[in-house]
Amino acid sequence: MRRLATDISTLNPVVLGSRYDRYVANYLFTPLVYLDRSLQPIPGLADAWEISDDGLTYRFELNKKATFSNGRPVRAADVVYTLRKIADPKTKAVQVYDAFSSLDSAKTRAIDEHTVEVVFRQRLAAQLLRFNDVLVIPEDVYAVGDFGKDFTTSAVGSGPYRLVRRDVGKEIVLQRRKDYWRERPHIETVIFKVVNDHGTAFNALKSGDLDESVVPSDTWLREKNNPQITRTIDFQRFYSLNYNYIAWNNRDPLFKDKRIRRAMSMCIPIEAVIRDLFQGTARAMSGPFTPDEWAYNPNVPVVRYDPLGAQELLAAAGWKDSNRDGVLDKDGKPFRFDLVIMTGSATSTQFAQMAQAELKKVGVQVDIVMMDGAMAIQRLMAGNYQSAYLSWDLDADPDPYAIFHSSQSDGGGGQNFVFYANAEADRIMDEARRELDPSKRKDMYWRLHEILAEDQPYTWVVQVSAKWGLNKRVHGVESSRGFGFFQWYPGELGWWIAKPQSDPQRAASQPRDAARASAGS
Amino acid sequence: MTSYLVRRLLYAVLTFFGITVATFALIHIVPGDPISFFVGRAGATNIPAEMRAAIRHEFHLDEPLPVQYLYWFRGAVTFDFGASILDRRPVRERIAEKLPATFQLNFIAFLLAASIGIPIGLWSATRSGHLSERASAVGFFLLYSLPSFWVALLLMQWFAVHLELLPLFGMASNDYADMTPAQQFGDRARHLVLPVITMTYAQLAIFARFTKSAVTEVIRQDFITAARAKGAGTTAVLLRHAFRNALMPLITLLGITIPYLISGSVIVEQIFQWDGIGLLYYDAILSRDYPTVMGLTVVTAVVTLLAGLLADILYAVADPRVRLGEGAR
Repeated sequence: MRRLATDISTLNPVVLGSRYDRYVANYLFTPLVYLDRSLQPIPGLADAWEISDDGLTYRFELNKKATFSNGRPVRAADVVYTLRKIADPKTKAVQVYDAFSSLDSAKTRAIDEHTVEVVFRQRLAAQLLRFNDVLVIPEDVYAVGDFGKDFTTSAVGSGPYRLVRRDVGKEIVLQRRKDYWRERPHIETVIFKVVNDHGTAFNALKSGDLDESVVPSDTWLREKNNPQITRTIDFQRFYSLNYNYIAWNNRDPLFKDKRIRRAMSMCIPIEAVIRDLFQGTARAMSGPFTPDEWAYNPNVPVVRYDPLGAQELLAAAGWKDSNRDGVLDKDGKPFRFDLVIMTGSATSTQFAQMAQAELKKVGVQVDIVMMDGAMAIQRLMAGNYQSAYLSWDLDADPDPYAIFHSSQSDGGGGQNFVFYANAEADRIMDEARRELDPSKRKDMYWRLHEILAEDQPYTWVVQVSAKWGLNKRVHGVESSRGFGFFQWYPGELGWWIAKPQSDPQRAASQPRDAARASAGS
Repeated sequence: MTSYLVRRLLYAVLTFFGITVATFALIHIVPGDPISFFVGRAGATNIPAEMRAAIRHEFHLDEPLPVQYLYWFRGAVTFDFGASILDRRPVRERIAEKLPATFQLNFIAFLLAASIGIPIGLWSATRSGHLSERASAVGFFLLYSLPSFWVALLLMQWFAVHLELLPLFGMASNDYADMTPAQQFGDRARHLVLPVITMTYAQLAIFARFTKSAVTEVIRQDFITAARAKGAGTTAVLLRHAFRNALMPLITLLGITIPYLISGSVIVEQIFQWDGIGLLYYDAILSRDYPTVMGLTVVTAVVTLLAGLLADILYAVADPRVRLGEGAR
């Protein structure tokens, strides 16, 4: 019994919207390649692959035993169909289009029943990993009807489960396929329940109505040592590819100067944040890569908390408290700015208040501005902000092109909304995303890590671990390097459930239930 | 009476247009659009400019606002409210599948609140000023000010987690589809208990206090003293003379309450995972799902206006002076 914190938007695996959509799709469909525990590509629907020397042509050998849940074998033509759908802008495959926008649809073809040749116009180092997002659909089923509208509540895939029903807004029931062509998973029925409220979800974990759920930091920290609760619930945490940061609008007169941005970073008491706000369940960040990624350069130091040093940097940049009102000024203007935070997260507010108090000590006045998600993002994209406390969820490949390349601002379609521009960084990102030699690519990103840490377009704050509660009857739950419990192979497909008899807790509660039943009747 | 009705109806139609234009303008003026929602959900994954343009075009977001309104209006007259930006399913379908849930929950809560609250209000009117009435007033204010999310979670904690008497959340058990109709009825009833309690307790206070103040006002008037003087009993005075004259404010309350029957409550629906209109509205606004917001606005506006119309008619029935129109007063 799994939880969906928001209902999925569709079961169509090509136009998935959120990560919850993917959670469900992972049971129903098979990607061309799976990712293993360290997020390296391993056979999925494809048994083997060859990549041409120029990195433009991929040849996949499909598993010959693979079948869809309607019994039909998976053919190379289905893969071609799926890829063309993804690469067609009209499909609006929001989550995957970017990685396949340079697909050469005309040259991509089925060589025979089980061999596909995929051709790109541009080389992408991350391409192979991105085939993990190609969840293959049967052409004869999906070509009939309106592709965007007609497959939101039905599904035919080659995954280990088939759809029993989707009750919009309530639940999704999946049944293990008897005719699955790979090693069958242990759990026979998987039910996703939509439970929006965290309080309800935690109660449901306690009552056994849910077997797993993400648990908010405060609840997790409060309950993880409560013996009554840990009898039935296992509290676990893992680091996923995700970090929190303060974005500085590098075009704002205040934050143009990298010395100022560094001074701001030096005012954030990272250790206190980790200790007080997250009780040790977070770790400091030194740049754009997390310690779990190969691109992470361990030699780059975290910016130390040093308010005095920050004051010196600010003074060197001309910011002094000349009118003695407690706020630094320069040319008659006070050092004052807005920090945007998004509504809905208690820890964001607490963090913002901590930063506000610390910056006040060095004479910088921060005004915290709260906005809802859609509003904040529009302001960010338009560059209509000064600073913002945000977080990123990253992909399996570390390429930060969309976030820091200078071409990715100003309607370039990217998300460089801090307007960071550094010629050397641009060059490295351009080369690294086309470089097929892993060791050369690693060196490039290690250098990029240094440059970004030096320039501080962001203040990298912390990587907060995801916190989970699991019913103790669930076994085989393991964490990957970066994706946590889900979306790698076997991941959630390797879970199993202990039989009720072997659970003393449940056995003990049975007589009680019987007594109540008789008392009630 | 007919001209009175026609006049009211005309007002209602005009108000309806006003509401749709205003809501349409407001939701578009609020910063943020569906694209920014998509971008936010995609995380660090890039949504290229051509894809954003395609989404804008699909939902006519690239047209001027008045043109967008006309597009919407053209569909709305044939009850076609377009497709949701979130999942591209027809808005009409999305609303229709959630309306019964909200109506069921709120109607039961409304009946309970009225059938318990009004008698209590009558009782307290007769005891006005007594210690027991004061105490009940304090009790009701306490009840009214308890935050519903807290009450809901406590109820869950007791009845579902500890006592395991009632289901925790949702509208049906897992095996609902395999039950006999009688079992299904029982199952739904069990799922309704906690949300209904949460919905009822605050409304109860409103009904009780409203009735009490309306009746108390009437009781003070001369004709009640006259009725008492001619020897009518306390109960007779209360029901025949006082309550009937206190009906006017209660009709007003009814007119205000009816729209709530379908508008839903975000908090209760979220906590009990009661899949209704409140949650749909909330999500639609957060994700800037314009077609869904407009569709829901039309439904609530129509019901609100009808309830107002109903109240107006009831006024006229209850008080002949209203029928004659302002000029005759």
